[in-house]
Formats: sequence, structure tokens, C-alpha cells
Amino acid sequence: MSEMLVPVTVLTGFLGAGKTTLLNRILTEQHGRRYAVVINEFGELGVDNDLVVDADEEVFEMNNGCICCTVRGDLIRIIGGLMKRSKKFDGIIVETTGLANPAPVAQTFFVDDGVRARARLDAIVTVADAKNLPARLADSAEASAQIAFADIVILNKLDLVTPEEADAVQARIRAVNPLARIVRATRADVPVETLLHQNAFDLARILDIDPSFLESDEHGHTEGVYSASFEVARPIDMQKFQQWISTLLQEKGGDLLRTKGILHIAGEPRRFAFQAVHMMADGDFQDVAVGPEEKSRLVFIGRDLNRPQLRRGFEACQVAA
Amino acid sequence: MSEAATASLLSARGVTHELGAHVIAACFDRAGRGVAFGLGDGSVVLLAAGASEPRRVDAHDGAVMALCPDTRADGFISAGDDGTLLRISPTGEITKLYASGGKWIEHVASFAEPRGGLIACASGRHVHLFDVAGQRLKTLTHPSTVTGIAFDTRGKRIAASHYNGASLWFTASKSNNPRLLEWKGSHTGVAIHPATDAVVTSMQENSLHGWRLSDGQHMRMSGYPAKTESLGFTRSGKWLASSGADSIVLWPFFGGGPMGKLPTELAQIENVLCTRIACHPKDELVAAGYANGIVLIAQISSQNVLPLNDVGPSPISALAWSPDGAGLAFGTEWGQAAFIDLSASRSPIRAASS
Repeated sequence: MSEMLVPVTVLTGFLGAGKTTLLNRILTEQHGRRYAVVINEFGELGVDNDLVVDADEEVFEMNNGCICCTVRGDLIRIIGGLMKRSKKFDGIIVETTGLANPAPVAQTFFVDDGVRARARLDAIVTVADAKNLPARLADSAEASAQIAFADIVILNKLDLVTPEEADAVQARIRAVNPLARIVRATRADVPVETLLHQNAFDLARILDIDPSFLESDEHGHTEGVYSASFEVARPIDMQKFQQWISTLLQEKGGDLLRTKGILHIAGEPRRFAFQAVHMMADGDFQDVAVGPEEKSRLVFIGRDLNRPQLRRGFEACQVAA
Repeated sequence: MSEAATASLLSARGVTHELGAHVIAACFDRAGRGVAFGLGDGSVVLLAAGASEPRRVDAHDGAVMALCPDTRADGFISAGDDGTLLRISPTGEITKLYASGGKWIEHVASFAEPRGGLIACASGRHVHLFDVAGQRLKTLTHPSTVTGIAFDTRGKRIAASHYNGASLWFTASKSNNPRLLEWKGSHTGVAIHPATDAVVTSMQENSLHGWRLSDGQHMRMSGYPAKTESLGFTRSGKWLASSGADSIVLWPFFGGGPMGKLPTELAQIENVLCTRIACHPKDELVAAGYANGIVLIAQISSQNVLPLNDVGPSPISALAWSPDGAGLAFGTEWGQAAFIDLSASRSPIRAASS
């Protein structure tokens, strides 16, 4: 079913990080695929493409009481319009402005039935400038959010930094987002096939929460965006977990940017995969058997994460010893 | 609902054409001499009364986004995602009225009277108004992208839906200040009551919102399982018909309604979404198209339902009455387009249900 849905790649990154260079490369390279591109600045791209859509980023709040439930209305309209075209395309790329928070784009794919019926969020790709990212992370909440939401971070302009600086900035990215794949580049020279059609939001692909990310509390961040990862040994009581996580997302969803988990549910031979963007959550059993002695893992990326409280909450979801 | 009757009406009184692309819009010209279908491949297909073969016009480089009758007796106005607004004559000649510079033109509307008329199109936050000659008269600017436009029945006012409400403009006004009808959220389409008593919008949250214009009273109409993509008032203004449920949902605009009233639901097809409605230009009849390809006509007073065709492979995506109400055109997402002539019987519903 998901193969029928048009994949949508969200491209974020601060001004000057190399987003436009990357877009131009995607649109001009001979890779045999056609992409519709939704951009904010018409004429910024040097390519003549009848699938370039000029849009204003228009965010609105859903009237459902969730304070952080903001959605991109223009995307709902544009995806609906593009799907009526006879000339088909292989995917849609949505460029966000440098200062944009990626959450409303991602939430659009959870909220709108029409969008869900036609398209799927494939991955959030963030282009980061290796030289300037540390300063941006220090002075901008949006920069942290763009790293936090990313499935793929392109660490660009490596020719402007020393190998040591590159390693240091990569460690900063890891501290914010332990789950993203980091791709190093100089002039956004990343193979297109490693960015598009990634299925990063497919629950079946949440298989690789690396145990080395877990329980690494030594970052010791007290402010900004960072991650907290936990694992528990005993199987999870589904009812307890659902109650805990839904309450948590309701109360703390504004601070929890992304959540991902792979759970071993008591009495269930298959793995349960879970993900959330702020309060919007999605979870399902996967056709992957739970391994012997397999632990349940959960990663939060957000602000003001109370690690002891989160750990106690997750631990309390286990079945009685 | 009788299957035998459905097969006969379209085949006995109608023609169907395979057009090969998503039918985005259908409409008749003002004289009722021809019907046009706007397609996802950018073409506009013209079907003249009495002609057996349609005429295909390569109108837009991309997809047609909207279509309406020209202000003249015949011909059409079309808009596309190539950012052009075109006048298309019955013989297929194209005149470009406006080019947005690439930005999608998503909506068009026209109004005609003996001495003139107006053409409107919406592109981004702007609604552009043109006279019958195609000269741009003015541009109305909104706080966010315009998602629907509608003239009132006399062409005095035009309503535009957008984020957080709708704007109601006097078309001839020198001062460019609209009456802002506010309601938080994303409004996705608009309709004006025929006596200009109310403006109603469809909303992202599977509901409708209305404003009574005399006193600004809010009207909240909710309970839809899906978004309303098609809405309109009946000729008398007594009912607001809408898609978005597995029936035609009709809200009463009389007796104090719709506030505190339940809607009337007609022509329910269980678990099949009604995707398009079109109110009859003269009588209290509503045509409706469904996700299973069914098109039917429902009479509000008797609640009688007349199916016109069989279940098809594709959802109905366009539906329109001829100006005299004797012809009905519809199109589907998969590219079927049909025209049915109902004029042989003055009262098709009574004839079929007897």
C-alpha cells in the first residue's frame, strides 16, 4: 500500500547552508526520476521545471485543542493539486525557509486524511553548514529543531573546516539527534539516491536504534535540544505503555520533538514500533520477531527532558518481575 | 435504488467519453449550448450540443485547476497550474486574460448581466477582478492564500475564503476594505446564500462555518466524516447542500436554522462518500456524485432519488447542471466524462419512481 503513496522529502536548513545547491543538483542530475518541488522563493532555482510550485509557508493551528498541533495548509492544497496532474512524478520535495520549524510539515502527514491517502512523509533532510552550525545551535531554537527533526543531516561545506572541527560539529549533531544519519559533503555533493526514497517514517524501518546511543547521559545538557534514550529488559505491558505515553505526549508534547521506540510487548512474538512528532503518535506491530532476550528501547529528542522521570515512567511499563 | 433504472438513464439519454485524465471541473456555458471539462493533463474538452465528438483544446501546460462559464453567452474561462487565466471560445480559440508569473491560479468565478459582468480568479493571496473584455479592474489582497471564491447572485459582492475566515468585498467599491468574517482555522471553500443572507465556508476540520450577514451570528455545522469539497445553496436559499458524508447533507436555512437544527440527509449510500453536489438552477433538486462513481438526483420535498448510472470504477470529481436545468454533466477522477439530457421528461423524478 505504501508503495502507492507519493514520497515527500522535506528539505530544511539555514540560509546559506547549501539547500538551493542541493535542490539544483537533484533537479538537474540524470537519475531518471522526476520530482515536484515546493519552494518559497520563486526564481531562486536556476532550473526550468514545470513541477516547481511556488508556495507561501502557511501554518495554522488545528481546532482540536492541541496547542502544538500546527499544520501546513498550503501543503494540503498543493499535494491535492499535484495528484490531479496527468504528468506523473516520482516524489515531492518540500523546501522550508531557513527559519522554519519542520514540525508543522511533519504533522500535516499525520493530520490530513486527503494527504495520507495520497502521499507519505519519506524523510526530513537537514542541510547544515559545518562552519556555522555551532553558532546557529547556540543562538537559534530553529536550528536545534531542524537538527532534532532530521532523519538525515547533510554536514556540508566540509572544505571550510578542519577534520577536527568536522568531528566536533558531528558530535554536536549526535548530542541533539542520535538517530539521524549524518552524511558528509562539500558542495552538497551527496548521491541523490541516499536522500530520497528512504522510508524514514515507515514504522517497519525503525529497526536500528543503536544500543550505543542508549543511557549516554554524559552529555549533561541542561538547555537546548538534546536526546534521552532508555532500554528496559522485561517485556512491556501494552496497556500501561499506552496510558503512560499518551499522557506524556499530551502533557509534554510541546517539548518532545521526536520520539521513537522499538518495544517487546508481553505475550507478543512480533516487535512493536512506535514514533511520534510532538503529540502526533503512530505505532504498530512489525513482521519482525522479537529476538531472544531482546530489550525494549525508547529515544526522546526534545527540550527539558527529565531523564529520571522518563526512565521511571518507562520502567514502570514493564510487566511485573 | 433500482439497478435496471440506473443503467438505462445514462445509456438512454446520455453520452460518455473517455478523456484519459482526471476531470477536475465541468461546466456549461451560459446559453446552455455547450459543456466543458477541465482535465489534469491541461486540456479543456468542449462538447457542443448536438455534436457527437468532443473538441480537445490544449489550454494549460500542467493541469487545469478551475473552470467557469464566460460572461458571454458561450465559451469558458479556465485557470491552470501554469499560472494562466484563459478565455476559450466555443470553437476552441484561446485568449490569455492574465498570467500570474508561474503561481497557480486555483479558482475562477464569473458573473454576467445584460450590460456586462465580471470575471474573478484567485492566485495565492490575491483575487483579481476583470471586466467582460478581460481588462483587470482591481486586485483584492487577503491575509493568506485564497481557497475559494464566489459571487453573490447580483455580482455586487464577492466572497473569498482563507485562513481564519472569509472576506466579503463589494465589487464596485472604490475603497478596498472587505468585511472580514472571522473564525479561527483553515477555511477551504466558500458559498454565498442566494439572497446574500449568509456566507458559508467549508473547513479543514470536517465541518462548515457560516456567518449570518445581518448580525454576524455564527453558524457551526459539524459531524461530517470527511472534508466537504463541494457545497452550494438551493435556488430558493432554503437549503445548503454539501458533500463530505455518505449522503447529501442538507442544512435548513429557514425557521431559525441552521442553528440548533439537524441536517436532512438524502440519498444515503452506506459507507460511500458523496464527493460532489450540484443544486438545480430552478427547482429544489440536488444532483450528487459519489466515490463509487454513482450520480443521482434527489428531490428535497419528496426525498425521492433518481439514480442515473451504474457503479463505476472511479469517484465523481466534477458535476454541473445546465443553466435551464435540463442537462447534467459529470466527470470522474479516472477520466470518464458524461452528459445526460433530461429534457425529454419535464419531471424525471416522478417518471422514474412511478
